[in-house]
Amino acid sequence: MDDNRFDDVIRNLPRDFKIPVEPPLEEMWRAIESAHFDAPVSRAPRGFSRSVPWLAAAATLLIGIGIGRYVPAKSAGTPPPSPATVASSDKVVTTDTSAVADAYRYQTSRYLGQAAALLISLPSKDANEKADATFSNKATDLLVTTRLLIDSPAASNDPKLRSLLEDLELVLVQIARLRSERNKGDLDLIHQAVEQGDVLSRLNSAVAITQSSE
Amino acid sequence: MNERQLIALVIAGDRLAGRALYDTYAPRVYSLAYRLSGDAEKAREFTQDTFIRAFSRLAQFRGDAAFATWLHRITVTVISNARRSEVRIAREVTLDEANSMEITTPEAEPDLKECISRAIEDLSEVYRTTLVMHDIEGYTHAEIAETLGVPEGTCKSRLSAARAQLRQALAAFKE
Repeated sequence: MDDNRFDDVIRNLPRDFKIPVEPPLEEMWRAIESAHFDAPVSRAPRGFSRSVPWLAAAATLLIGIGIGRYVPAKSAGTPPPSPATVASSDKVVTTDTSAVADAYRYQTSRYLGQAAALLISLPSKDANEKADATFSNKATDLLVTTRLLIDSPAASNDPKLRSLLEDLELVLVQIARLRSERNKGDLDLIHQAVEQGDVLSRLNSAVAITQSSE
Repeated sequence: MNERQLIALVIAGDRLAGRALYDTYAPRVYSLAYRLSGDAEKAREFTQDTFIRAFSRLAQFRGDAAFATWLHRITVTVISNARRSEVRIAREVTLDEANSMEITTPEAEPDLKECISRAIEDLSEVYRTTLVMHDIEGYTHAEIAETLGVPEGTCKSRLSAARAQLRQALAAFKE
């Protein structure tokens, strides 16, 4: 194929490559309207739980184990209430709920600390060494926790935390990709996302808040 | 009413303002989603996800970039995340499943359009996105650079590399 023929190919791409069909504007708007305006606290549909249910289940199990380990540690000094007390006392029920909330707070705080450490250790824009596989693996692990926390009560009751987690999700996806296809442009993109979203300072504030409430 | 006022109204929960923004930008978002996914159903889903995400994060839009650029950045991220999920799921196909697939007869010689489609599909994600945005959807280098968060020079070199790979893939094609 000579230069002229290839130039023709490029010029004709708009009419030769996947010509878009008429967009179903009304149908799409109904879905958007229902998701955003009819349910203001609802969130964007997430592909994660739908497409990889076993991964979500595994992550749930991991965090559940973490919470399970934390809850007894917090209440180790208090004797377990008798079944009768549990059945008759509202106060005991409240304490249990509070323990679960504490456990979520603890897990969230731990996660935020790890995310902050990861972002702080992000290579500088000018660095040109190969991405460390451990580094992107860590991002992949944190990504699983991020997506789980976005769906957790900890985030649904705290719009600021939720927004931070959603921004972190995007950044971590990009870091996780470095393993296979790192180049300077990708790293620039990550730094830009971190800077534009003010992610690190919001993260540090969130760490401080969650740690002070423990 | 200008775009900033519309955005402020959407943040306040005004659905008519939301519809106005949607009417302005949805056709181009859908077109980009369709070109990058090649599937009407996926393009619909990506467009919806883009607007739902955008509306829920509108308060974070600072106006540093044009609203269209911000929106297209979300579109590219939504599609990119979905493609990675698809690749991950595809890798989970077991060997048994692969072995049980029927042996198909060789296809007829593909025509030029099919060759072009396959060659573009085979490009890496950054090259494909750059080529689709520039050569097919008509974005400028400045717009692509801002959308993808890379310098314009990077965008130009990606386009050049994408075209070179496309040309190499089409070299063997005989008309």
